[in-house]
Amino acid sequence: MDFGLVYPALVAGRLLLAFAPLPDALKHDHQLSSPLTSYPRLQEGVYLFQHGIDPYSGGLFRHSPLLLSLFSTALPLNKFTSACLWTACDAISAWALVKIWRARQRVSQSSRDSLIAAIYLLNPYLLLPTLALSTSTIENMLFLLSLMFASQGQSSPSLLALALLVQLSLPSAIFIVPMILLLLSDPVSRLASPREFNTYLSSILAKLGTFLGFSFALTSLSVLVCGNWTWVEQTWGAAVMLPDLTPNPGLWWYFFTEMFDHFRPFFLMVFSAHLLIYVLPVCLKFQHDILYATYILAGVYATFKPYPTLSDPGLFISLISLFPETYQYLRYPIVTTLLHLHSALLLPLFHHLWLSQGTGNANFFYASTLVFGVSNGAALLDAIWAGLRIAVGNLPEGYELIQK
Amino acid sequence: MKAVLFLFALVCTLWQCVHAQIPSEQEQHVTSFFNSHGGSTSRHTNNWAVLVCSSRYWFNYRHMANALGMYRTVKRLGIPDSNIILMLADDTACNSRNKFPGCVYASAARDLDLYGDNIEVDYRGYEVTVENFIRVLTGRMDPSVPRSKRLLTDDRSNVFVYMTGHGGNEFLKFQDNEEISAFDIADAFEQMWQKKRYNEIFFMIDTCQANTMYSKFYSPNILATGSSELDENSYSHENDRDLGISVIDRFTHHILRFMEGVNKTSQATMQDLFNVYDYEKFMSHAGVRSDLFRRPLDQTYITDFFGGVSQAEVMSPPLSLSPSSNEGSEPENVPESELPVELDQSLDFTSWISSDTNATVRSADEVYGYDGILHELNSRAHAPKQGENMQSVRAWVSTGLLVALVGWVGSNTT
Repeated sequence: MDFGLVYPALVAGRLLLAFAPLPDALKHDHQLSSPLTSYPRLQEGVYLFQHGIDPYSGGLFRHSPLLLSLFSTALPLNKFTSACLWTACDAISAWALVKIWRARQRVSQSSRDSLIAAIYLLNPYLLLPTLALSTSTIENMLFLLSLMFASQGQSSPSLLALALLVQLSLPSAIFIVPMILLLLSDPVSRLASPREFNTYLSSILAKLGTFLGFSFALTSLSVLVCGNWTWVEQTWGAAVMLPDLTPNPGLWWYFFTEMFDHFRPFFLMVFSAHLLIYVLPVCLKFQHDILYATYILAGVYATFKPYPTLSDPGLFISLISLFPETYQYLRYPIVTTLLHLHSALLLPLFHHLWLSQGTGNANFFYASTLVFGVSNGAALLDAIWAGLRIAVGNLPEGYELIQK
Repeated sequence: MKAVLFLFALVCTLWQCVHAQIPSEQEQHVTSFFNSHGGSTSRHTNNWAVLVCSSRYWFNYRHMANALGMYRTVKRLGIPDSNIILMLADDTACNSRNKFPGCVYASAARDLDLYGDNIEVDYRGYEVTVENFIRVLTGRMDPSVPRSKRLLTDDRSNVFVYMTGHGGNEFLKFQDNEEISAFDIADAFEQMWQKKRYNEIFFMIDTCQANTMYSKFYSPNILATGSSELDENSYSHENDRDLGISVIDRFTHHILRFMEGVNKTSQATMQDLFNVYDYEKFMSHAGVRSDLFRRPLDQTYITDFFGGVSQAEVMSPPLSLSPSSNEGSEPENVPESELPVELDQSLDFTSWISSDTNATVRSADEVYGYDGILHELNSRAHAPKQGENMQSVRAWVSTGLLVALVGWVGSNTT
């Protein structure tokens, strides 16, 4: 199928869907948006800002000041512009994904382009949060843009996009290291032939310096918008201190509802460290194919993020389309698929049972988030296994593969 | 903000001065309200009852029945449970010796179960102590004591205090291990008077040598009655053959019999009640002490103490206190001086004082200078707009810079 036909058709379909009369409840759904990405909160913050009240003085608004300034000046937030903007974000993300694929395959176009675009644009995990106007769509777009520019070797746009992403969501700082390493290598698939990563420390530091420069500039822009530093505690601080315990499909919130106060700092540290400890090992193990390392870290991000929504595992699942060489080595794809299906059905069901109908309790929804975590974890483990298994290649007769 | 506080203080002091200048006319107005429509001359607005049975154990069944009978009467005549403090040992209804479990009867015929359901005992068992009784009367309690155990009276409350149990010369035995003396109760009532915790008290006591208990009162507006004189016993009325003990005392029994004929609209007076007293029936000389009570007994209704009957007067709405028609006008066209219309009128005290006093109290506007407050409020309304302008400038600048940054990066790479 011609990419030039499929892609506009998908985008047009998405646009129509965005303009369709959808229930407003979608915007408030806990699976599709979190306190950090919720659209009604964005509207509230912009309204307060436009009326001279500091939106960060209450605990409601947790979006970045950059979004605040953007949506209170250049892009007004109403039904028409929001639908267009969010569809555009998704369209750009799908296009970026296709470009990453082309960079990985070192082709200018391929027959799989339309499939990849369809996998992104038709993924329900990504479609529904976009319809709910969750700002995680913008985060996904920034991530894929950064990845695209990094695959093309353009460091400044890539690091700028990454800096913007870190401004919007602090846990995405785990992508700094793989992105820099990707800039210093290339996205071509080398899973089958691992080799050492050769580079100079100075070049890593130079890229890091660029990134920090962009971050500093954006932080000063944020301070300029707000006039003070209260936004840091409300936006980045929320990812670390977890002040808002609104239910979401993640693994953090239930733990922290049940926790005694004197254990809180310890477990916050444990959970945050748990997110960080994967960066170096994964990058070291997949140093021959940094793009694959980024993919794995996207899975880690989706599973262990403080305020995840469905769009984070959605990104991970859509990224799998970049690595068809791993498909034959996946050990239990059916189990993972069924687990995902299972949790995708259970999450809204138990959420409704607990909060709307009142016949269940939080444990129901917590159990379904555990199943969701298991399904993400299963996908992650299988991806790691497949990525490493390729290097072994075809086994000669009579030989078995064992893990020592 | 400081200007508002100062003006508020000014309002209060000026109001106090105004108030102090005209006590008698205001008193007249209030008294005439209470006296209109030929009501009782009592000035109370709410009724409370403190019913104490100071004995425990099975053989003091009759004291429990006394107190419960009074409780039922007082409830029937309109005092709600929230206004009744009932102190009982509460060990009869579910006593293992009670042949009719869960029931307390006041007559051998067992026609009315006083215990039944829907009774609210506030102090039960070992909580019925002298200390708790004095604390209830004086209101000096730990902050943790719940509202249902407090006597929340004010200076317009009529309080009916009923006590029954075993007593003697100027003392009453509480639960077999302590006593309260007549001086204690007199001092508690004086504390109540000093703290303006009652309008009038009706004190009734049914024990041996009961009249000695009210001999020591010295606070005004107390009417007291007791069942027997010094060196006299008060006797029980009848025994129940099945229960094996006495079920009611004579004094209380005849009072309750009289109360059967009283309902909420009754015009029966205290004198009618006291006319029931008869040595032949009581076998003791029941007494009344009315020297501290300023109203004549034949004009004091039973329901002033036993019932929760309140005086209501239907008035035509006062003209200047009603919400003005200005509320309906469009806000844009209202000139500055008319803006806080409701605030103005809520502080217009002149309307309910009689018109003679208009000369001494000027309108709120002139005295308290509301124009000053108005100007300050309006000026504060303008300030946020400047903040909004600053915010939008900041937002535009930062958006512009962000776009510039993106453009610079984009142009440098391609």
